[in-house]
Amino acid sequence: MSGLRSYIFKAAVRLLFFLVNVFALYLLLRGHNLPGGGFIAGLASAIALVLLSLAIGLEELHRVMRFDPMRMAAAGLAMAAVTGAAPLLFGRPFLEHFDAHLTGLPLLGELHVGTALAFDIGVFLVVVGIACKIMFALGKSTQRLRALVAEEERRYSAPVEQPIEEEPPIRAATNPSTPSPHVS
Amino acid sequence: MSLETAVLVGVMFSVATYLVLQRSFVRILFGFLILTNAANLVLLAMSGRPDGKRGPVVLDPSAPMVDPLPQALILTAIVIGFGVAAYLVFLLYRLFLDQKTTNAADLYEEPESNS
Amino acid sequence: MNWPVAPILLPLFTALAALFWGRPGVGRRSLVAGSAAAQLAVSLGLVCATLEGRIFVLGLGAWPARFGIVLVVDLLSALMLALSTLVALASVLYAYAESPTRAEHPLRAPLTQFLVMGINLTFCTGDLFNLFVAFEIMLIASYALLTLEADDWDIKHAFPYVGINLFGSALFLSACGLTYALFGTLNFAQIALRAAPCADDPRLWVLALLLIVVFGIKAGLFPLYYWLPNSYPTLPIPTSALFAGMLTKVGVYVLLRIFGTVLPHELAFAHTLLAVMGGATMLLAVMGAIARNFIRGILSFHILSQIGFMVLAIGLFTPLSVAACILYIIHHIVVKSSLFLIGGVAMRLNGTDDLERMGNLWKRTPWLGALFLCQALSLAGLPPLSGFWGKYLIVVAGLEQAQYALVAVSILASILTLFSMVKIWNGAFWTGSDRVPVRTSDWRWRAMTAVVAGLTCVSLAIGLGAEGVVQIAIEAAERLLDQHAYADAALGFLGKTAANPIP
Repeated sequence: MSGLRSYIFKAAVRLLFFLVNVFALYLLLRGHNLPGGGFIAGLASAIALVLLSLAIGLEELHRVMRFDPMRMAAAGLAMAAVTGAAPLLFGRPFLEHFDAHLTGLPLLGELHVGTALAFDIGVFLVVVGIACKIMFALGKSTQRLRALVAEEERRYSAPVEQPIEEEPPIRAATNPSTPSPHVS
Repeated sequence: MSLETAVLVGVMFSVATYLVLQRSFVRILFGFLILTNAANLVLLAMSGRPDGKRGPVVLDPSAPMVDPLPQALILTAIVIGFGVAAYLVFLLYRLFLDQKTTNAADLYEEPESNS
Repeated sequence: MNWPVAPILLPLFTALAALFWGRPGVGRRSLVAGSAAAQLAVSLGLVCATLEGRIFVLGLGAWPARFGIVLVVDLLSALMLALSTLVALASVLYAYAESPTRAEHPLRAPLTQFLVMGINLTFCTGDLFNLFVAFEIMLIASYALLTLEADDWDIKHAFPYVGINLFGSALFLSACGLTYALFGTLNFAQIALRAAPCADDPRLWVLALLLIVVFGIKAGLFPLYYWLPNSYPTLPIPTSALFAGMLTKVGVYVLLRIFGTVLPHELAFAHTLLAVMGGATMLLAVMGAIARNFIRGILSFHILSQIGFMVLAIGLFTPLSVAACILYIIHHIVVKSSLFLIGGVAMRLNGTDDLERMGNLWKRTPWLGALFLCQALSLAGLPPLSGFWGKYLIVVAGLEQAQYALVAVSILASILTLFSMVKIWNGAFWTGSDRVPVRTSDWRWRAMTAVVAGLTCVSLAIGLGAEGVVQIAIEAAERLLDQHAYADAALGFLGKTAANPIP
């Protein structure tokens, strides 16, 4: 399946994808002191990806954007955790954040930056990764594609089973259904 | 205001309980979603009457501010609820694929030959 | 000052490293095992430090109390941390002994570490909503572990587990809301101070009942336990040992913490309710165990039955009975995990865990039989093994309170426990026809038995060194019940950190 067959939709999504992502970036940067932040920005960005996947199809999306959502989420979690744990090195409490007001920067002028932004970027990555994982896995499964691409299969799939029991267990007889499809 | 919220929470909890006890997977799923939202509404009601107060993010010191803590708690609870709901969708979908049924009562029926 | 966060951060970073590592290999295994050992070392260090009377308090992010979250580690928390990391280490090592690297599921190690992180956060936290978050981390990791390696028969039994825990979470969230409305805070220490004058307030009673239901679901108390005995046997053995040892005990710990430290001590009706629920749980669950015919099923029901003892001890609510509860938790976590692991070794040797088709283990592997006998009799409460001392203290506390019916029920439940343990002993170890195979050809069962032997040594040490352990338990109970000392410690640090708020 290669997405919806409306040319208007396809053309609009190409534009919308960037617009939504820019908006997500805006939400991410203005977070902390104003409505916004990593979670909402992550959801917006994930929605942009879902729109794109509807327009060009999941296989094509995976071909143009090679990323493993699980690793993205893990990287985000690592970033947030490291930001939280960094103050420990200086004997400060866990999760303490610091900020600084920079003036006289080239191009930008004044800038107020804080470590909370790094934490928020971590949250952003977690949310994009998890939301993509959820929606793509469901989407692939309903379109009868394999839930994991080859790369993910290598990393996360279950190993070949080593049967402990010699004879087939009794309980297997309770379910005469066909072998289960691939669902993550 | 508090009374209406209390009634609404009560209705949502009862609707959720009713739906969760149904057999269809979709109803069970909706039941849990409503349940999460009912609990969030309880939390929201705990920040007190909102009349005439400003939101905790608007920079206008003239009006008193709504208690921001319950809203922070709800945000956390929504995020957790989002993750758990996604898990539940997958669990029910996997059950559907494995057992070829969307009826929860069929899942736990012991076949005659084995029991 | 940051020590309380170490038992949480170590599993988190280990899980992330394991996730990035990808396929399991020797390197990843040593990393996870090393981290588990380091967690145990940190927890033991915390036990030693708190034993001297220190209470570790950490305000996360240096926020003042009403907005911030505090982590508090007192003696009881440190003991629980040590137990959870001990069981996690045993489970990790057992899993390595059980299967080669190529048969290990790549996501099991990260999820187990996330589970340990949630459990440890539950023990450390000093804030009701943070407790909710910790529970959710623990529960989501446990949902994932429950379905990770499940086949289509197993996965049906994950659904009741998920369902009842979702319901419990919603009720917990409502309880958080009610607490915040009543006291304007979610910090344990502040709640303790503000709740003390309003012990007669019916709204507080509602809160207490709500919390009993919420944590009763997690602990597996009488009307709320049906989800447990069917879902635990579907887990892989090392994971089921971790679940059996820790997850329900987390519920018991929180009941102890809430009724001992947070809510006022005058809530007599809630204590009576807990005692009666505990009595009903121990009797009905042990009957369920007798009706089961496979090892993991029997042991799963025994978890519940033993939970009944602990909750009965909380319900009696004297300093002695709370100490008995703590002693019982210490004993039970070690014994129950090792019994699940022994069941796993027996399953591997016999190729099944159906008692009808097992047998001959005593003849071929007497050491395993000795370990099982030791732990099973300890579970039933025979002196001088560790289970006896906990039960003895509970009975003494019950007699002091003149709760003769509950004492009689607990003794009856112990006898029935012994009966069902003898059933496993007869079925799997003592008898068996010659047709039952015992496969001792490969070396893996020996390594698995060695892990179990380590846990059994800990359990024996608890039983034989009961004098010292009882002293520690009494000390922990006294500090748990001393609400003012807890509040002073948890709130006293605020003066130091409030000076540096974030603008």
